[in-house]
Amino acid sequence: MVINGMTAKSTPLRIVLAKVGLDGHDRGIKVVARALRDAGIHVIYAGLWQTPEAVVRTVADEDADFVGLSLLSGAHKTLVPRVLDLLRAAGLDKVGVLVGGIIPESDIPELLQMGVAKVFGPGTSLEDIVAFLRQRSEAEP
Amino acid sequence: MNARLLERFRHGDRLALARLLTLVAREEDLGNIADQISNSKNCRVVAFTGSGGVGKSSLIGKLIETIRGQNLKVAVLACDPQSPLSGGALLGDRFRMPQRPQDDGVFIRSLAAESGQGAIAGNLGLMVRLCAGFGFDVVLIETVGAGQGESAVRDVADVVVLLLQPETGDDLQWEKAGILELADILAVNKADLPGADQVAAQVKTSMELSGHAVPVLEVSAKTGKGLADLWRAIQAIAGKHATAAPASELLRLAQQELKARFHAVLATGDASVQKIIDQFQAGKLSASAASRAVLKQLSERKR
Repeated sequence: MVINGMTAKSTPLRIVLAKVGLDGHDRGIKVVARALRDAGIHVIYAGLWQTPEAVVRTVADEDADFVGLSLLSGAHKTLVPRVLDLLRAAGLDKVGVLVGGIIPESDIPELLQMGVAKVFGPGTSLEDIVAFLRQRSEAEP
Repeated sequence: MNARLLERFRHGDRLALARLLTLVAREEDLGNIADQISNSKNCRVVAFTGSGGVGKSSLIGKLIETIRGQNLKVAVLACDPQSPLSGGALLGDRFRMPQRPQDDGVFIRSLAAESGQGAIAGNLGLMVRLCAGFGFDVVLIETVGAGQGESAVRDVADVVVLLLQPETGDDLQWEKAGILELADILAVNKADLPGADQVAAQVKTSMELSGHAVPVLEVSAKTGKGLADLWRAIQAIAGKHATAAPASELLRLAQQELKARFHAVLATGDASVQKIIDQFQAGKLSASAASRAVLKQLSERKR
């Protein structure tokens, strides 16, 4: 039986969304932030010009389940591995790393091999992102 | 339950603090965590409230630098609203605070606050105690952006700073009851803009008339104006207030325990409680009589 407003406390997913490096295009990440919010997810918006170190500190302090990095600058092959290394060094291997933005098809296998959970390029539907987060968090509680 | 996590917390593991805050936010194992955390006497708890857009996050961001300049360790608990529709939240306060990834003396945590909880996250008192117990000298609380009436933060903070801004309200605005009566310090933010001195003067006159004369300061998160004075005023008041765990925390724990039992009953079924619910729904028992009966059953029930 469910009584309105009295259901047991839910455990919303927590995701940090950040732009790493000097890229200043934040429309896409804001659209994603809004969609995830509307899907019942708690979005910690770290915003523009984050260093990899700052992103990892945010993920740690916020106890996030996922981190979404948006890169449109072409610096993904430098910045993403740096974030992955720092996450591992901080003992945060279990945090799912998502990458979005402009990533050439040919770079995707390399990013996945490094430990990125998924790359979402232009044209990805917002539903797909939500579905991926849900599926993965159920698979690895 | 969570013994290892609490052990790691006691040894200064930041990730354990972060996880414990998550558990408290989810209302898991509250009683145990509350029992295991010692009360830190030396921690100052300062809350910042005021309407959305008044500059709470930016001001806290600047104060972090001031506080670190005095070599005090600071934790920030920043509340933002949670959607009553989806349960989701966009927590964007830390976006306006400085990045200090190498500095272990700064901890910033974003919290979702459900509506109807007085503009702060649930169990904020216990979260403050966790931060204090971890060794932070100062805990800064940012409310959701209270309008006029939200006063729950008064219970958890030693000092409440209400932020105002230029071009808000006429002089009657400051005569209204509510948060103005509860604030320890009034700070007119955005003092780099015209009109700040006017608001400050109006508020000051109003507060003096009411006999609740509190410091009224002009500050600017943008230029840094008045920040050192604000921090001095906060410290002067914090020193006067003794920090004891408020009795309201007991009430909150008891409420949660009751709620947990109620949910357990709904989930697993309990014949005697179900009978009361059935009678209530059939109109055979009044709401007040039924709730008294449920209360009695729940409090006698073993978890």
